[in-house]
Amino acid sequence: MLIVDVLIAVFVLTGALLMVTSALAMFRAKDALSRINVFSPATGLGMPLVLLGCYIYTLQHEGFSVYRLLIAIVGFLSFIIVSSIASNTLSRSTVLVGSPVHRYTRPNRLVEPLVPVDGGETGDPTAETETAHGDGPAQRSV
Amino acid sequence: MIDPLRLLGYFLWIFKEIVSGTLSMTTSLFTPHGYSRPMIVQVPLRCTTDLEITMFASSITITPGTLVVAIAAGDEADDPPTLFVHVLFADSEADALDGLYDMETRLLTAMRRRPPKPVADAILRGAQGTQEGETA
Repeated sequence: MLIVDVLIAVFVLTGALLMVTSALAMFRAKDALSRINVFSPATGLGMPLVLLGCYIYTLQHEGFSVYRLLIAIVGFLSFIIVSSIASNTLSRSTVLVGSPVHRYTRPNRLVEPLVPVDGGETGDPTAETETAHGDGPAQRSV
Repeated sequence: MIDPLRLLGYFLWIFKEIVSGTLSMTTSLFTPHGYSRPMIVQVPLRCTTDLEITMFASSITITPGTLVVAIAAGDEADDPPTLFVHVLFADSEADALDGLYDMETRLLTAMRRRPPKPVADAILRGAQGTQEGETA
């Protein structure tokens, strides 16, 4: 009984702490893309942990039922799938809308595409610097 | 064609990556200076089908510290489909590409029952070559 209580507390509190961690990390990130990026511990690990803690709590108080297990599994998979697809959509729209990318984002391959090197030659730096002056929505920096 | 055991192993490996990425994000949160080294890297893919590309993009995004920002469709000839990935905590571009291609190899081995062709050497060398050019 006691061990299960401790386990529930550990799961739920770890999940909640991960939410706080992500929120604090969003303050330290400097542009929109980084803020979306640092949010994934909360969605990928924090929310499933809270769900797991809640499921064990229900298991302890109401006993096992297939229906609740099914709900928990569906919820778990939804968190994983939905959060990753939602992050993709957010980042995609952030780039498309032309939100500024922080100037220390280096290299930024959206501005200077990677040129595969043939044979023993090294990269051509002049080609990179010429493309770097392009003026597109995703290329502004703060 | 899908190898269920390997796919299960892949999901466990992704879970391990999520945990280790969360730890590195938490430790860097309490580092006073130099919080992150953001970069957007270009990843030409060896994935071909829609399912493989979707699973790879989702795996990248669910891992803390990496985020897919754009997808370029490939043409049938020689341009592979390409992902643009925002990476926060990698030491260098080559380092980030190594991690991403390692993930792709694991995924494709699980999806096709045999390992994919190794990454074209020109891509990795191109990443290093431009970095030398930038510092020169």
